[in-house]
Amino acid sequence: MKSILKIIRRELDIIRRRPVYLLASVGVLVVNIIFYYTLMEDGLPHDLPIGLVDLDQSSTSRSFSQQLDATQLGQVIYYDDLHLARHDMETGKLTSFVVIPEGFNADIQANRQPHMGCYVNSLYFVGGALAYKDILTMVSLTNGAVQRQVLRAKGYNEREARALIQPIVLDQHQIGNPATNYGVYLNGVLLPGVLEMIVILITVYAVGTELKYGTSKQLMEMAEGSIEKALLGKLLPYNIIFTVLGIGLELLLFYWFRYPLRGSIGWMFIDILLLVTASEALGLFIVELFPVLRLATSVGAIFSVLGFSLAGFSLPVEAMPPYVQGFSAIFPLRYYYLIHVQETLWGGGFAFCWKEVIHLLLFLFLPVVLMRRLEHAYIYQEYERD
Amino acid sequence: MKEISFFRTWFRNWYDIFIHELHLIFSDSGVLVIFFVGGLLYPVLYNLIYMNGTVDDMPVAVVDLSGGSYSRRYLQKVDATRECEILLYCSSLEEARSLMQRRVVHGVIYVPADFDEHIVRGEQGTVSTYADMSSFLYYKCLTMGTSLAMLDEMHQIQLEHNVPQAVLSEENMPYNKPFSYTIFFISAALMLVIQQTMFYGSSLLAGTLRERNKSFASLPGHLQGLGVGRVVLGRGAAYFAVYLVVGAIIALLIPWLFHLPQRAEWTEMMVLLLFFVVDCIFFTFTWSTLIWKRETMFVLFLSASPMLLFLTGFSWPVTAIPDFWRWVSMLFPSTYGCRAFINLNTAGGTLSTIAPEIKAMTIQTAVYYFLACASVFVEHQITLRRSRRAAVRC
Repeated sequence: MKSILKIIRRELDIIRRRPVYLLASVGVLVVNIIFYYTLMEDGLPHDLPIGLVDLDQSSTSRSFSQQLDATQLGQVIYYDDLHLARHDMETGKLTSFVVIPEGFNADIQANRQPHMGCYVNSLYFVGGALAYKDILTMVSLTNGAVQRQVLRAKGYNEREARALIQPIVLDQHQIGNPATNYGVYLNGVLLPGVLEMIVILITVYAVGTELKYGTSKQLMEMAEGSIEKALLGKLLPYNIIFTVLGIGLELLLFYWFRYPLRGSIGWMFIDILLLVTASEALGLFIVELFPVLRLATSVGAIFSVLGFSLAGFSLPVEAMPPYVQGFSAIFPLRYYYLIHVQETLWGGGFAFCWKEVIHLLLFLFLPVVLMRRLEHAYIYQEYERD
Repeated sequence: MKEISFFRTWFRNWYDIFIHELHLIFSDSGVLVIFFVGGLLYPVLYNLIYMNGTVDDMPVAVVDLSGGSYSRRYLQKVDATRECEILLYCSSLEEARSLMQRRVVHGVIYVPADFDEHIVRGEQGTVSTYADMSSFLYYKCLTMGTSLAMLDEMHQIQLEHNVPQAVLSEENMPYNKPFSYTIFFISAALMLVIQQTMFYGSSLLAGTLRERNKSFASLPGHLQGLGVGRVVLGRGAAYFAVYLVVGAIIALLIPWLFHLPQRAEWTEMMVLLLFFVVDCIFFTFTWSTLIWKRETMFVLFLSASPMLLFLTGFSWPVTAIPDFWRWVSMLFPSTYGCRAFINLNTAGGTLSTIAPEIKAMTIQTAVYYFLACASVFVEHQITLRRSRRAAVRC
């Protein structure tokens, strides 16, 4: 017990002497939180540049463009020439553009059904999709307005006309994110993902540095030759730092940012604690596997970046090829995400996420497998140092 | 005569530094892993992960309390869309909800009992949809599937009642018709991989040299601190040689291998690469001045990669990025490189399309070249002073 306390004191001294540890944990997380929170503060983009090529110049086309401009999503930029609009879409300046053909108004009056051309730049995902939705809404509203006049002239009353213009109304519910806030969806998983990355890298770095500078022998002596004691004392201070960071992050997300949470914050604490310990175990496993600091950090880096994609919150895992799907099982973030969804959307509690909890706990057995290898490396230091 | 000898020494020094740097790169396994394994593995891995790019036939549960011909026809149309597949019919909303909670389905469509009655009576019928917001692609699938079916049904009902369509819209999505995640993500990520692997690899090297007290900025001794230009250019040439190959593989071979759109001429792509790689080199030289220890680089800067990806505006639109971050994004070559790649390669523009990006990269190159030279000069002065002090102490 005394030896562990001594190692903890030694570790705290290292953290105090080398600012990189606090900078890489607290500093990096804070920068990431500030970045992603302020980037998506609005929740949903507005005033997306939509081009309008008005070849008709009639009152109808003018009122269409004014209405499109008045929507919250869109901001109309006028063009005289289709090629110019197309060029600006190619350069990414426009999310989309609409072409109102010549004789548009006359065709409507004569019931010749003019075509409106909508061109969407689908290479810029969110902007393109939203602008497209905005244009479609405005086109159908224009359509509806004309139809309404025709129906009223035919003698239908207001209610009947409305029913014919839009016979089916979609009443859409977005469970867990009623405002379709992109920030809620992304930050709730991305920021814990950043924490996972931080935990893996710092664990690898802290354990590996002892090898690089040849101080591991001294550490083992302090631990009376027991690798378990050495690692316990060494990692405990980091564990406390990561736990505080994790709890702070959850509090920030659900109390300060007020992201929707159906279940209890207690479950989110458990979730982030499991993520942190599982990532720590994974980091330890990586450095046990490659007891050379330079290799272990490179492997840890390459590995943890993939976690963002394979957690499956951007492209769902079931949409990936079968042989890739299995790989999502080796990332703690995947299970964090599943528990996160269960709690924020449904508040299901333990009954619905016990499997994920077990998965995350299984990560803790990983370092046990290769513990002797690290012990050997710590005592004999027979691997190249850097 | 003096002029000629100046050029000759300049060139000889430059050549020595160039070869020396190449030697350093190829004798460091960590750097080779980052350059060749990281640089070439990531594009391949991302292509495998995002191979399908779209969520097709997403499972949906239906609660049809109406059970009439209109509701049946509507639901059949939803089932027929690419986006949704009706997996189960449930007897109550509770049942459907529990299916969604257990991730069996990712959307629920609820048709109330009076739906058909309303339509037959010539009134509006309401259909409720419940989307699983755990992924935006689920939400998009449900919205698209139910809306497309709704529009089709609307036209059919209007036809039955002889209501003419006033305006028809014709959609045209020239670059990425199915809204594929693959095309949009990979197009943005490829150029970022070039910049980031170069930065990480080169900084590893710089950090290692500094750890061994050999300054990254070691100038040829006999020049008395005047050889800044040839050091930066000589070292840069080594990275240029390596990255023209790596860059060509990433930007030309990978898209070809995975059947991604390649709408630009390869010569135009090479022009883009030329500007981008040179820009990245001086960017790296400038910022790697901050790296004094080999491993601290990853611990501190790895999480910058996803941030830089967002700053390119590939997902969150540039117009919605706050001004402060837009200013920050101007510091990075990737902001312009990625956009130029998307517009040139994927959207099929020409060099004139990407002229603004090329211009921005040229300005960056010039600024970063001077900053890189300045940092070499300053670092050289510091190490000189340090070694002098050490000599005095001896």
